[in-house]
Amino acid sequence: MSNVITASHLTLAYENGAKEVIKDASFSIKKGEFVFITGPSGSGKSTLLKALYGKIKPTEGNLVVGGLDLANVRQSKLQELRTHLGIIFQDYKLVNEWTVAKNVVLPLMIAGYSVDVQNTQAHRLLKHVRLAEHADKFPLELSGGEQQRVGVARALAKNPVVILADEPTGNLDDYSSNVIWDLMENACQQLETTVLVVTHKIPTIFSLPYRHFIIESKGVYEVH
Amino acid sequence: MKFIKNHLMFILPLMAILLGIEFYLVFDRTTDSYEKGLKEGYSMLVVTKKPMKLEALQSLNKHISRSEKIERKNIVSKIAKGVSHSSSKEILASLPYFYNVGLDSYLQTSVLEQIKTDLEADPNVKKVETFGSSYSSAYRLFSFIKFTLKLFIGFMAVVSFFLIIKQMEIWKYTHRERMQVMEIFGAPVILRSGILFKVAIVDAFFATILTSAVFLYVKFQWAAHSGIDMMMQNKEELFRLTDIAVLLGAALLIVIIAVYSVVFSNRGVQE
Repeated sequence: MSNVITASHLTLAYENGAKEVIKDASFSIKKGEFVFITGPSGSGKSTLLKALYGKIKPTEGNLVVGGLDLANVRQSKLQELRTHLGIIFQDYKLVNEWTVAKNVVLPLMIAGYSVDVQNTQAHRLLKHVRLAEHADKFPLELSGGEQQRVGVARALAKNPVVILADEPTGNLDDYSSNVIWDLMENACQQLETTVLVVTHKIPTIFSLPYRHFIIESKGVYEVH
Repeated sequence: MKFIKNHLMFILPLMAILLGIEFYLVFDRTTDSYEKGLKEGYSMLVVTKKPMKLEALQSLNKHISRSEKIERKNIVSKIAKGVSHSSSKEILASLPYFYNVGLDSYLQTSVLEQIKTDLEADPNVKKVETFGSSYSSAYRLFSFIKFTLKLFIGFMAVVSFFLIIKQMEIWKYTHRERMQVMEIFGAPVILRSGILFKVAIVDAFFATILTSAVFLYVKFQWAAHSGIDMMMQNKEELFRLTDIAVLLGAALLIVIIAVYSVVFSNRGVQE
């Protein structure tokens, strides 16, 4: 299997390089792998995730995602890469003025799919996350767990190469968390999507084989 | 209600800027015609020993555009009533030649003095009368009115611009969430700003229509029945159809600047 993500001697920093968060990290992740990244608060988990979708540029080293080196990337190429990623946030990041269905098809809208295709896909995706009856509601009319399911449906909308999830169950109860893990396991298993999850704690109910990286003292280490 | 308020908050300052632009256009046109009137109505008197052609006067100063000879016979007939024919012939022979000399544009009094100096440098020119004091007072009054109106228009534009910036900050807050989410998922600028553009372009059209309506009312209703000669005579200068294009162009330019400043100021904000 080919590498989907490769980091070599990667350094990430804020304040123009003055505040290093990750230093000289090297790792690679293959297509279809499920990866957990854990570490204490403030260790740089979310920073690494932001770097993976190009929000933060590497200060040193290389970070290649989907064949694109994020250390030297043009804005247009970065936009194109983001259309192949599914991103899930702890705070859902749904557009509250849009209906659930419109939120779900955002990646398709950006890719320029027709309204008919968008409608069909919205129905299919919402059925998949068991929210079909909520299509015309607005995000704030849903519970936290339901909103996160909308977030997962949106992340899956365009069959992404990689799903990046930042504490996806951080605000959810156990039942809702289990539903979300289940959906992500399915995506990894059935679509061979690479899933990279930043979390405080690996769920006990998780059934798939996975890799585990821990961020400590600015380093990224794999736990075997 | 909130929807109308949001639109008015952008339409009103935009209208104020457009009104300023239209005032400027109208003022420029009417002052142009006033300047033309002053220029055409003004002439200096040049007295020469021998007849002088326009080309000769123009070779002394390039601002001279026309010259009109004052018939000496008319002068003699007025000043020598009851005088014998031979005496009036003598008076005619001894009279110098008089010319009303017009200028190519409305000039400052210092330039008038320069023209006088240039003309008087010619030995054939006996005397030049510029009528500088009446010309100067008219010119100063005209310049003062022009300056005050431009100052007022400038002030209106600055205040309105600040109101637009204020509204842009509200837009920035209102549309931030959506634009950030769209940016994360790779939406290009044009798609991220699409909704803002739609709203702003509609507002630009409304502001243009309302501003045009104000001036059309002034032109066809108020000016026509105002009883003010200057207004009634210069009615056509008050609003032209081409002004709609100028106003719409200005409104769209302001809208593009406003929207892009909102879009780019929302970029790179931490999620």
